[in-house]
Amino acid sequence: MSATTMLDSAAEFDVRDYLRAEMMPHFLCPGCGHGIALRALLWAVHELAIDKDRLAVVSGIGCAGRLSAYIDASTFHVTHGRPIAYATGLALARPDLHVIVITGDGDCLAIGGNHLIHACRRNLKLTCLMLNNEVYGMTGGQVSPTTSETRVTSTTPLGNSEPHFNACALAAAAGAGFVGREVTHHVPKLKELIKAGLAHPGFAFVEVMTDCTEIFGRKNEMGSSAEMVLRQKSELRPSAYRDTVDMPFAAKDLPTGILARNDRPEYGEAYRRAAVAIKSAADNPAAGRKSRQ
Amino acid sequence: MNAIETAPAASMQLISGNHACALGAIAAGCRFFAGYPITPSSEIAERLSRGLPEVDGVFVQMEDEIASIAAVIGASMGGVKAMTATSGPGFSLKQENLGYAAGAEIPCVIVNVMRGGPSTGMPTRPAQGDIMQARWGSHGDYPIIALAPASVREIYTETIRAFDLSETLRTPVVLLYDQVIAQLTETVELGDAGARGRAAAAERKWASGPRESYRPYAVDEDGIPAMSRPGAGYRVHTTGLNHAEDGFPTQNPEAVARNLGRLLAKFERHRDLIDSWQALACEDAEVVIVSIGISARAAIRAVAMCRARGVRAGLFRPVTLWPFPQAALREATAGARAVLVPELNAGQLSLEVQRILGDRPVDAIHRYNGEPITPAEIAERASSLIDTTGAGSAKAPGVRRAR
Amino acid sequence: MKRDQRMEIRIGGTGGQGLILSGKMLAEALSSMGRRVAQSQTYEPTSRGGFCNSDLVVTEGEVDYPLTSALDCLVLLDRMAVAPSWALLKTGALVIADTRLCPETPAGDCSVHQLPLTRTAIELGSERVANIVALGALAVLTGICDRGALERAVRANTPKSFLDINLDALAEGYRLGEQTHRAAATAA
Repeated sequence: MSATTMLDSAAEFDVRDYLRAEMMPHFLCPGCGHGIALRALLWAVHELAIDKDRLAVVSGIGCAGRLSAYIDASTFHVTHGRPIAYATGLALARPDLHVIVITGDGDCLAIGGNHLIHACRRNLKLTCLMLNNEVYGMTGGQVSPTTSETRVTSTTPLGNSEPHFNACALAAAAGAGFVGREVTHHVPKLKELIKAGLAHPGFAFVEVMTDCTEIFGRKNEMGSSAEMVLRQKSELRPSAYRDTVDMPFAAKDLPTGILARNDRPEYGEAYRRAAVAIKSAADNPAAGRKSRQ
Repeated sequence: MNAIETAPAASMQLISGNHACALGAIAAGCRFFAGYPITPSSEIAERLSRGLPEVDGVFVQMEDEIASIAAVIGASMGGVKAMTATSGPGFSLKQENLGYAAGAEIPCVIVNVMRGGPSTGMPTRPAQGDIMQARWGSHGDYPIIALAPASVREIYTETIRAFDLSETLRTPVVLLYDQVIAQLTETVELGDAGARGRAAAAERKWASGPRESYRPYAVDEDGIPAMSRPGAGYRVHTTGLNHAEDGFPTQNPEAVARNLGRLLAKFERHRDLIDSWQALACEDAEVVIVSIGISARAAIRAVAMCRARGVRAGLFRPVTLWPFPQAALREATAGARAVLVPELNAGQLSLEVQRILGDRPVDAIHRYNGEPITPAEIAERASSLIDTTGAGSAKAPGVRRAR
Repeated sequence: MKRDQRMEIRIGGTGGQGLILSGKMLAEALSSMGRRVAQSQTYEPTSRGGFCNSDLVVTEGEVDYPLTSALDCLVLLDRMAVAPSWALLKTGALVIADTRLCPETPAGDCSVHQLPLTRTAIELGSERVANIVALGALAVLTGICDRGALERAVRANTPKSFLDINLDALAEGYRLGEQTHRAAATAA
């Protein structure tokens, strides 16, 4: 273990300790909220004293997918929509690693939606950070599954007429052990939420509402990045726990904080326990037959 | 080399091709399998769901075909030997991620049990229609290895070889066999093969030395980059974007050309390890049959039938299908007046054979109705090529369409 | 059997009759006797119903081509199996047809025995053991397999709750086969 990974959680957080300096400057647009989310994530990692050498970050394709390259850890930038599936293999094969997924709303809910709901159901220990900016930014601002109604995008020139997903309601309904949402406006609260997600022993889904100023904001005349961040505040519904399952397509309102939580058995542990039973059945066939009956 | 091993032995087992694949995987050190149910390959997953936990491995049934190969690549990125198994429709779905494994050089084994196609096709009937998909299925330019076993025992030994090649050369390896061989139950003896398999089990070239001087895609003479295991302190980046030696994305034309050029050429200096074929009675053959899988099994009998009636037939059977053992094919057919390719598709192996043999006539039996080609049909066609091929005047290439 | 001799057997009927299982039992018994066996199946993508053939190629030496193309023996547990199999029969081949489910067979140069395989199974308490009755009759009439080896294979592949009825079915199959054998000998 090198000196840089021996960080005391009490030590002051310096984001540079967790970034790859050689990758700077980053490629995010001015005003993009993703950098705030990345900082909050690394702050949470720092406070939990997660060893960088044991940290694996898997990301998909899109603006959010690019973030893994900036993190000083074992990082995997995989195919569009599949980071949860890659991470599932990695976490099952290497339970000693701390595996985090960074994904976007298109990556996670459109092309990768099937993997999300099954990861929620399976409840393998993973932390999935979905950065929701309501748009496909990297490809030029097309409508996404979370684009609010009436918003103009490059593929909804007259305004979006599809209802948007409530990602947290979806994750909760699919059985995720931990579901939470926060906005980039509240950085310490976001850090605390991510920390709680990272500490959760099963699948944790954390949605971060983040702004795409250059592509989405500009097209919808939402003003400067500062104005956009302030708008998050007006749309907030600061709340504690509430049942989001009943409103999967609710009009834009943002309950934040921990929205759903349960303590179902973690899949990796459950699998390893079952494997011990299979193994002892193989060693002792008579007992095995009995247990299968 | 690599004849179908059939010599009787003391400890015989009666197992199916798919069962042999599962046993071979475990013998080769596979400790992770992710799959999705599909006929006619599901028996591999069923076997491994019980077999892997017995050796402290992990089996997981994923939500779809794409998730299966993604999880397999994820496990391999974690340093564990991993495999998935599927059939045509699933193989199509896996192609994008197979390209990722090829491009990022992540070892993994993909079993494709070929059934009738296109689309859902004929799930329980044999075909050999994925020969070209195995080579060219993903987008862009990338190298791939595909192995084509023809017997239950060979499925076992080739599964082990698939892992060895995959780990040694840091590449996905496709194991390609048809429904007949997959669900065929044969008397086999695996004792020796098992011992050989374990002795030969290859280990990936792992990074060593200080982190500061480690470059994930830098190579020495063998052209194979050393991989770093997460947790070993290297903390590197892996991406499907074109990357430089440091592993980070680049669009620098020289850096891209250097890394991609190295990738595309990386098998060339390892052909001795990769190439494998069976040349049966080709030395004096006037007609050489080129075939794989169940069609090759029919051809073995056809060779005997031809020779019994005075036609000197031989068989060339590529065991490594991709990269095709082309020098060996040229050598095996050098003295032949005719070449015949029986295959269960509309013309895939024959296309490659024709490419390699250039202007020389290549005849074929192409069938895609779900019925295997029989030994008698091959023998009759092979004999007719010689009967009608006067000295020095070979018959023009012709293709028999399926009935 | 001579080393280069090859025997081809088909058990044909419909999916769900346990044909693949009985083929595997016979293959296991023959394999335990030191024979080389290749067992294959052709079936439709349904678990129950549709045609189903379970084929065996048996040799002393190596099996080059593992599929059947000239049948020495055909068991018909359903009329559905007649059409795809009849043309494959060798001259003088042995055919065992079930009296209930395959009462008629085409003319041909083969010796056909109509046996009450499913009726016997029903009398034993389950139509599902007709495959085992057939196995016993087949073993007697072909003389290819030791009774002890076959019984061991049946035991090894039968769940406990079915063991008694399967062993009874095998014995009944042997009885049917021996009866037929004696009748044929008397007629000759």
